[in-house]
Amino acid sequence: MARNKFNVDEELETPFSIAHLKRLLVYVKPYKTKIMITVLIMLAASGANLIGPYLIKQAIDKEIPGKNIEGLAALSGIYLVALTVTGICMKFRIRMMSQIGHSVIKNIRRDLFTHLQKLSFSFFDSRPHGKILVRVVNYVNSLSDLLSNGLINLITDLFSLLVIIGFMFSINAKLTLFAMAGFPILALIIFLIKNAQRKAWQNLSNKQSNLNAYIHESINGIKVTQAFVREEENKKIFHGVSNGYKTSWLKAVRVHFLLWPAIENISVLTVTLIYVLGVGMIGNGITVGALVAFVGYIWMFWTPLANIGNFYNAIINASAYLERIFEMMDEKPEISDRPNAKELPIIKGKVEFDNVVFGYETTTRNLNQISFKANPGESIAIVGPTGAGKTTIVSLLSRFYDIGSGEIRIDDMNIETVTISSLRKQMGVMLQDPFIFSGTIIDNIRYGRLDASDEEVIAAAKAVQAHPFISQLKQGYYTEVNERGSVLSNGQRQLISFARALLADPKILILDEATSSIDTETELALQKGLETLLAGRTSFIIAHRLSTIQNASKILYIDKGMILEEGTHDELIRLRGLYWKLYSSYYSSLRAI
Amino acid sequence: MQSLRWAWGYIRKYKMRMFFGLALVLLVSTLNMANPYLAGRIVDDVIYGNNRSLLWPMLGLMVGCTVIRTIVRYGYQLMFENISQNVIFKMRENLFERLMGLDFSFYDRTKTGDIMARMTGDMEAIRHFTAWTIYMIVENVTIFIFAVTFMFSIHVPLTLAILVVTPIIGFFAFRLSNDVKPTFTEIRNQFAKLNSVVQENISGNRVVKAFAKENYEIEKFSNENETFRARNLQSARIWEKYLPVLDSLAGVLTVVMILTGGIMVINGSLTIGELVMFNSLIWALNNPIRSAGWLINDVQRFIASAEKVEELLLTKSQIINGNHQNVQEKQADIEFDHVYFSYGNGPALEDISFTAKPGQTIAIIGPTGSGKSTLVHLLNRFYDVTEGAIYVGGRNVKEWHLHQLRSSMGMVMQDIFLFSDTIEGNIAYGSPNASIEAVQIAAGQAEAHEFIASLPDGYDTIVGERGVGLSGGQKQRIALARALLKNPKVLILDDTTSSVDMETEERIQKTLNSIQEGKTCFIIAHRISSVKEADLILVLNNGRIIERGTHDQLLMQRGYYYNVFQNQYGNFDIHLMAGM
Repeated sequence: MARNKFNVDEELETPFSIAHLKRLLVYVKPYKTKIMITVLIMLAASGANLIGPYLIKQAIDKEIPGKNIEGLAALSGIYLVALTVTGICMKFRIRMMSQIGHSVIKNIRRDLFTHLQKLSFSFFDSRPHGKILVRVVNYVNSLSDLLSNGLINLITDLFSLLVIIGFMFSINAKLTLFAMAGFPILALIIFLIKNAQRKAWQNLSNKQSNLNAYIHESINGIKVTQAFVREEENKKIFHGVSNGYKTSWLKAVRVHFLLWPAIENISVLTVTLIYVLGVGMIGNGITVGALVAFVGYIWMFWTPLANIGNFYNAIINASAYLERIFEMMDEKPEISDRPNAKELPIIKGKVEFDNVVFGYETTTRNLNQISFKANPGESIAIVGPTGAGKTTIVSLLSRFYDIGSGEIRIDDMNIETVTISSLRKQMGVMLQDPFIFSGTIIDNIRYGRLDASDEEVIAAAKAVQAHPFISQLKQGYYTEVNERGSVLSNGQRQLISFARALLADPKILILDEATSSIDTETELALQKGLETLLAGRTSFIIAHRLSTIQNASKILYIDKGMILEEGTHDELIRLRGLYWKLYSSYYSSLRAI
Repeated sequence: MQSLRWAWGYIRKYKMRMFFGLALVLLVSTLNMANPYLAGRIVDDVIYGNNRSLLWPMLGLMVGCTVIRTIVRYGYQLMFENISQNVIFKMRENLFERLMGLDFSFYDRTKTGDIMARMTGDMEAIRHFTAWTIYMIVENVTIFIFAVTFMFSIHVPLTLAILVVTPIIGFFAFRLSNDVKPTFTEIRNQFAKLNSVVQENISGNRVVKAFAKENYEIEKFSNENETFRARNLQSARIWEKYLPVLDSLAGVLTVVMILTGGIMVINGSLTIGELVMFNSLIWALNNPIRSAGWLINDVQRFIASAEKVEELLLTKSQIINGNHQNVQEKQADIEFDHVYFSYGNGPALEDISFTAKPGQTIAIIGPTGSGKSTLVHLLNRFYDVTEGAIYVGGRNVKEWHLHQLRSSMGMVMQDIFLFSDTIEGNIAYGSPNASIEAVQIAAGQAEAHEFIASLPDGYDTIVGERGVGLSGGQKQRIALARALLKNPKVLILDDTTSSVDMETEERIQKTLNSIQEGKTCFIIAHRISSVKEADLILVLNNGRIIERGTHDQLLMQRGYYYNVFQNQYGNFDIHLMAGM
């Protein structure tokens, strides 16, 4: 798969369609009762609002000239009641709108995040992480306005539009039809600018994504940047990326703002048309009073229409985000449970690779005809040059990738026939790149098994020799650490990561360069304990330090994706092949002193 | 107020355009009244008054006014967008500059998600404020003042009577402003948390999957997601408390007007015509008050965000730049003079002293967490020493201009970070103008050329942020090539070959020896094979140098180093030795 970087726009794989809006409506649907109630209440509120001008007219035309102070006071009283009603309605509306809007946002974000958990490594590996982050957090937030205010206003506006058209028809059908002459023109204009508008917002969402990706990466790579004095160069790049965002924003609003002038000018032209026609029709199909009433309505007619135009704009804007959100939700997990996948029962730990062929990309072959067998409780060491495929072999065991052909069996069950989570739960993996979550050390170890007690966590830390340094810290196990922090050295991160894997009490333990940054003394202490740690577990150990692997039940020598030698340390030494060569170079490096 | 003053610092540059824009806003507000007025005239004069000849001119005027109004409005909308984009562009740039300059201890304690929140969500709040809220405030205030002045000119007592309500309105507006502020702070803080939880989930996706902890992650996320909703609703609860009150009070102005005005007319102290004029102006008081609540919300939201952005901008790097820039001096001479250092919780380094001359290799070995990486980080001034001094080229590192100091050093960090860029771009990170040939030579020196060339896209292969898709040893060699390409005077290799196989490591070492002329090299490693040839080996334990010397000297000391040696080589295979 082609990988994406911060300064490359992501191609959109599915074009926007009305289906996206329908999908959005699915999220709105659970709240339809609330929406309907809110709409009713808003109609009531606008009723109360309309009383105002009528009351004033009454006062000025009747009560004041009639010097009727009581009547005036009564009108004022009614007015105050109307205001109170409007106030209460507004309170209700604010509450409902925010509840609906934020609930929908929450649910979309939840679904997006949940789906994200199903996606495989390759999804995360093929784009800057900032671009994933922006979708889950910022893009979803961008929908909030559309969902809260937009939707409810749309319904009420449509309603008032219908009422007004109804009134206009009741006065004069012919003039009403002329009044609607503006519609096709408006539709034409909307149609004409739609593509430019869509493109502009899409472009903007891309630029926003790029900007986020660059900021995100700049933060995560800051230490390298400072060490390599790249700050000035990066500022220049940032300037460009940031400017790209600014320019596309301005381009987008340039089109976006066109809609209102269009609506207003069309409306005034229609009104003009009605005046001309209406005045000509006086005495000839229309009375003076009726015409006055009609032109009164025609002004009112365009207000909801402009609001609807507004909503349309909001949708066009939001769809640039919506399509990205749904695109991610539709991203098919490359690794997923088969339809009839079973739970993997508690395993003994027998592992078999049977003619496994695998390539990260369809065109490449990273592993070729790999076959070997590990009995429960055995430890398998994998050695070979960097890039030989050692990590790949152990990744396949956890089914992080699916193989091209062949079969991987655990306790005689093909791992593709069992559920992924039941498989992975029985393995403890210590990854090459130890990742530390922000939080306390104890929580980081506990990640291996969430219900482990403090004592169990400490026992795991002791087993991997992490206890001494943790207890030296001021806050001990409760020391706060984070992704990048210098509180922990790399070796210490490895030990924590090791403890985490061990705490999971797995039947199969995978140690991928578990001790590469750990000093020999700690490693030795670790190794003394390792035998007890490994007892009853099948273990896979990848290491470059030969002292770590000598005692393995079986050593696999891998190069170029193939097993070239296989046997115990003694057997391989006797073979005088590649392993022997590796071993003797270790020795000669010593003799050279 | 403080935040507004801060924002003004950015907006000031555009104040002439801003004032011009505001003048256009007022022009449009005035033109807004043309259509209703003309419509009224048409009804009165043309339809009722039967004066048909006026129809066409009036319609023409109407169309003309609308065309001008919409054009002017479109113009100032773009103008304000332009100003606000320029303002936040500048702010973003300042923020980025600050981020580039902040020291390691800032990044050690700050979560990525928190910085992201400031760079995205907070900037959006500021954008909204500058593009929209500012001119809405000015427009509303102007209209209000305009209407009040006009009303005073018509009838002072009635105007005063109407304005009696305004202190109450002011009171509620003030309460709203006070109560809503903390809710916006909480929303944006929760936004930062949401950012962090998602960010870490993405970065740690391998661990999540390896431990099948998806459900736990979803639960963790859902808590923050739900809290984010709750914080928003909490804020909405304040709005629903005050906004309807303000809205209704705006209507009360009308009631006061018609009641007292009516009584005044009945008493004869006001004419009915004057009351009608008041009535036609009352919207100019109502609307600004109605908008006030929403605008207060916008302002408080802006302040909550601006405070955070400003805080970041004001964060000072503890590393103060020196100004010494002489390129001619020998920069490969290094001296640690009784250096002490602490991250804040207990000493990390104590009493470190040694010297290194050009051409020499200093190796550092010692237990995990003994301070090896810390020691070399001080050399680059990623942190400053707590006590003592470090001299580079005979000059205290604090006197050097940071760029000059760091440019002379090439560092491979323990925790390899590659950018999502091509392999070529990653190797050339420190020397963006390097030719592809130079990149290839550096890759060759780092024993990386062969595997890079065997990739389908070769040097154009794009790698991910943590260099995923490459094995640990491959990442280390790319990082090494990146440091070598700079041709640094001081080369620092922090555990750089731990994931590289022994044979490759040996080849790398040979190459390094051949290019070491005039360079000082620091090597942190655990393997004896990596450090044995160093001119000086420092054994660190608990932040102190416990042994120092060459390989042979240290073996004779029979101390820590000797033990490590024994552990790595002592139980060497008898068969093999017999065979050699």
